[in-house]
Amino acid sequence: MYYVAEVINDECTKYKCNQCTLFCPEPNTLMYINSPNERHAYVATARCKGCALCVYVCSNLLKRNAIHMIMPEVHANV
Amino acid sequence: MSFKVFQINEEFLDVMPKEIVELQENATWGNPKRGVMDLPFHKELIEEHSLCAGCPEAAALRYIMASIPAPEDTVIVNSTGCTSLVFPHIAMHTIHSLFGNQNAVASGIKRVLEYRYPDRVKDVIVLAGDGATVDIGLDCTLQSFFRQEKITTICFDNEVYANTGGQESGMTPKGHVFKMAPKGKQFEKVPMWQLAIDSGCHYVARLTVSSPKRVESVIKKAVYVAREVGPTYIHLYTPCILEIGLNSDQGLEEMRSKDKERFEFFEYVSPQAQEVIEKRKAEGLL
Repeated sequence: MYYVAEVINDECTKYKCNQCTLFCPEPNTLMYINSPNERHAYVATARCKGCALCVYVCSNLLKRNAIHMIMPEVHANV
Repeated sequence: MSFKVFQINEEFLDVMPKEIVELQENATWGNPKRGVMDLPFHKELIEEHSLCAGCPEAAALRYIMASIPAPEDTVIVNSTGCTSLVFPHIAMHTIHSLFGNQNAVASGIKRVLEYRYPDRVKDVIVLAGDGATVDIGLDCTLQSFFRQEKITTICFDNEVYANTGGQESGMTPKGHVFKMAPKGKQFEKVPMWQLAIDSGCHYVARLTVSSPKRVESVIKKAVYVAREVGPTYIHLYTPCILEIGLNSDQGLEEMRSKDKERFEFFEYVSPQAQEVIEKRKAEGLL
């Protein structure tokens, strides 16, 4: 049981930085959707190891606070 | 050897795992301008790995795999270490050598590829830790430089034998204490980047992986120079956050701090290598 990253879409949409997706150590985990209707990062929850490096990048370095750590439902119900 | 080896027979498309289908449909094959900015939008050549949460070495591997100019025509030679846990999950040709002889193996592969495919460019890249590159494999590493083998050597320097409990390595800075080195290192850190220059490497870079675009730039320069001129060497600081007592979200901060200290960005380019780099820049590939 561990916390995983979750993108706050409304906050992330305000920017177009992609930086969290570059610094995540896990491949194919923190990706970016860039369509006419949606533009934000998203997390493949099952792949996230919960290191919170993306939170450090988004909140500490960039001061955008668009990612937080949550207990995913699949774990919360165990 | 071409990206066609990864193409799926149409009759099996409906039964293949979606990860494999994505690799065919959305990975960056056949594009020499591929780079780290593709990472958020494309399927990566690393499917997954079993490295620790927040491991800087894992980030380094993502950047390297995204930056190799021709992954379909590249062979990676790796050695024992944490990186060994990643290579089974990479959609590239990889060979696991014995601990320390990775540059000798890579030399042989490069020569055979030149003989077997005289009309095609084949890149051979060595990826190994500081123990394999500098301690156990120093003779093979330097001899490949002396012989002017056209291979790229990338050293992941975490300054310790991390996955065996924390013994000091030649790359450990003087005075550092680890779990299995309680007295502290008695000798200075080996200046491997300087040895590489003195041994005949044409392009040498020392850096942390705190800047993905900088990693991309040095990887591409090293591969292009190795193709045409001779050996190249990249020294990457990828700290083991567990061994130095950091939390999983502190690896980037650690590297950013070392950017201003002993891993300040350093680049050596020989005159022949400079010509290649200028040529590639003119072609828009750097």
